[in-house]
Amino acid sequence: MIEIILLLFGEAVMVFGALGILRFPDVYTRLHAATKCDTGGAMSIILALILIMDAPAVVRAKFLVLAFLIAMINPMVSHAIARGAYRYGVKPKVVVDMYAWDNP
Amino acid sequence: MSRVPFYLKERLEGLRERVIHEGFEASKLPPWERVVITWVVLMAFWVVITGSPRAGDLALGAAVTLMIAAFMRDLLTEDIRRTGHIVEKLLYFAFIYLPQYLVIMAFRLLESNLKVAKNVIFMDINPGIVKIKSDLHSDTGIAILANSITLTPGTLTLDVSKKLGETYLYVHWIDLETLNREKAGEKIKGDIEEWLKKVFW
Repeated sequence: MIEIILLLFGEAVMVFGALGILRFPDVYTRLHAATKCDTGGAMSIILALILIMDAPAVVRAKFLVLAFLIAMINPMVSHAIARGAYRYGVKPKVVVDMYAWDNP
Repeated sequence: MSRVPFYLKERLEGLRERVIHEGFEASKLPPWERVVITWVVLMAFWVVITGSPRAGDLALGAAVTLMIAAFMRDLLTEDIRRTGHIVEKLLYFAFIYLPQYLVIMAFRLLESNLKVAKNVIFMDINPGIVKIKSDLHSDTGIAILANSITLTPGTLTLDVSKKLGETYLYVHWIDLETLNREKAGEKIKGDIEEWLKKVFW
């Protein structure tokens, strides 16, 4: 029962993330949708797979390692993309920009 | 004229911060404890990845990870504070601090997913880039703090600047509420920094 709920939640979150990439105005807000929804959706789907499959415990532990790696690497990649886009010259559509004050 | 006392006060503050920083630098873990912690982490990873309980595989993994840990002892554990005995510290970390952090982050991640879904539906965004100050000084602690800020609702770390004992984070905030640095820091960092200050310096 709980694995079905986790699977459905993960897929709904993934769909909302894709919708956010289409609807948000610029790079940085799109990165919000991409990072959070992909991390949460993938981790919940992996948890559901751990609960649902009948495999030895070592394979489930490997899936846990995979979830840990996703949770560590996803924010780093998002930070790298955001910083690279800012250094390349993509202007954010923001109210206040303290990063441009300090790095003219 | 009226700016001079402020300048002196700021200068003294900076000097005190630097002295504290040097003190923490002097009170790191001794080298063999760093080797042991790195070896334990790498050995656990080896056991999970290979997944075979045979004695030959375990001995090979122990030898290889001990060799790697002797060379790479500063990579993971250079920034851990020295408080108390090492076994006590490992037990505290494995059974109190780590589950606490995992539970906090799991609920924050759930909340951030729901909040992004709400933002996608209603499009009530008001983005801004703010600069907040962090009390942490170590590299590993700042990396974990920045990743946690990226996964908490509504915020995304853009860059980190570290100048002589002071650390500043630039955060892209999707729903800008305040420009005050202390209030924004409290709102963004939450209780994760309190958790991190117990382990890293």
